Amino acid sequence: MAGEERIFGGKPVLEFSTSTDRRKFLKMAGLVGFGATFVAGGLLGGAGVAGASPANIMRGAAPAAGMEGDLEILNYALTLEYLEADFYAQGLAAGKLSGRELELVTPIEDHEKTHVSGLTDTIKSLGGTPATKPKITYPDGTFASRDSFLKTASVFEEVGVTAYHGQVPLIKSVDILAAAASIAGVESRHAAVIASLIGGKPFPSPFEAHADMATVLKAVKPFLS
Amino acid sequence: MTNTARDLVHSNASEISGALGLHALNNKFNLAGAPDFANDLEVLNYALTLEYLEAAFYKQGNAANLTSGVEKEYLATIQSDEETHVSALTDTIKSLGGTPVAAPGVDFGESFASRDSYLQTSHVFENLGTSAYLGAAGFIKDKAILQAAASIFGVEARHAAVIGNLLGLKAEGGVYMGAFETPKDKATVLAAATPFIKQMPGSMPVGGVQTGGGSTSGGPNTGAIVGGIALLGAAGAAAVAARRYAHDDAT
Repeated sequence: MAGEERIFGGKPVLEFSTSTDRRKFLKMAGLVGFGATFVAGGLLGGAGVAGASPANIMRGAAPAAGMEGDLEILNYALTLEYLEADFYAQGLAAGKLSGRELELVTPIEDHEKTHVSGLTDTIKSLGGTPATKPKITYPDGTFASRDSFLKTASVFEEVGVTAYHGQVPLIKSVDILAAAASIAGVESRHAAVIASLIGGKPFPSPFEAHADMATVLKAVKPFLS
Repeated sequence: MTNTARDLVHSNASEISGALGLHALNNKFNLAGAPDFANDLEVLNYALTLEYLEAAFYKQGNAANLTSGVEKEYLATIQSDEETHVSALTDTIKSLGGTPVAAPGVDFGESFASRDSYLQTSHVFENLGTSAYLGAAGFIKDKAILQAAASIFGVEARHAAVIGNLLGLKAEGGVYMGAFETPKDKATVLAAATPFIKQMPGSMPVGGVQTGGGSTSGGPNTGAIVGGIALLGAAGAAAVAARRYAHDDAT
């Protein structure tokens, strides 16, 4: 569903400030191959075995490998949050919203900024290196009207929701899982509110959809070609 | 996944700092005492009880015909979502070899006296449900179940936000509850839900929501109700609780 979405009609959006960041981001896409296989193939069986014994509570793979994977996921989330934070900053600066709509969208920018700083702090505290903010460019007209801004925001938020939910089973640390989930819920609120503002579907399904990194990246990374 | 001697949670928790880390640490994983849930079935039955409560709430509320237009459409979808959650959780519990809890008896008091009281109580429910799922998520061991629970959690958050907007509540603190969702533990959630539960099913399977609920399950539950009122805050909910008192006196 969200996988078929193309933000900005597939036009280039992001440029990374360093080739290292670009490589990191591309590497995440590679990680998806592993993740997708893990989910589709081994997850139920493997987790079922682990769940059979209370002694296995909250224990994952070897710590170093586990934390490495979690850090990759956190940096993936950070990159998406950078994009969202920048998107709302520019959209609000364009001044096309007013009244209740402005009131409802303004806190979203604050949330995305807080997600950026929260994720950055968490990555640092885990000994990781936070991804730097990508250079972001938007197609002409993205913020030219209220409709264009909010419609793009709606696609963004839905993709963001599916991105977080796609990572849920891959996160090894429960603390990071809790933190990521607490962000995902807020993205769901954003998605629902924006959808209701544009006459869309605030509750598209009884269950949030989830997408793996490859699908999400396909939606946001035409620039990586 | 390989099992190692190291426990990831406990070995890493103290290393996490910053807003996210602090937030995550509130999630109870490292607190002393019995965990809220011993296994996934307990979490699922806990969620099922809350979904039963929500599904019954919207069924009654929508039958009262208090809304119209897009508002009515939204509430119809929400009812359908909650009913789907009930059936999905029931099926999952069965597929795991567990026994789904029965639906609790419910009493929503004066919640359906008006459109406003309906939506106000709904707003409390949805935010409570969101926090309940987040508070329980860390106890789920099976990753597929975790993903399913998370996918319900997100939808409850959607409901909460849209209901808050229908009520015209302020954006921050009414529609959104900050940049991070807040987890609530089982005792807190059950205390808040107590005013709406007329009777719990008599034959709760081991691990049903009454176990570990402490003061919410037995004896005079005044404390639980008062706690519920404090948590709920909304005027409509307080009215419900008052009626609950009256109901207690009458029976």
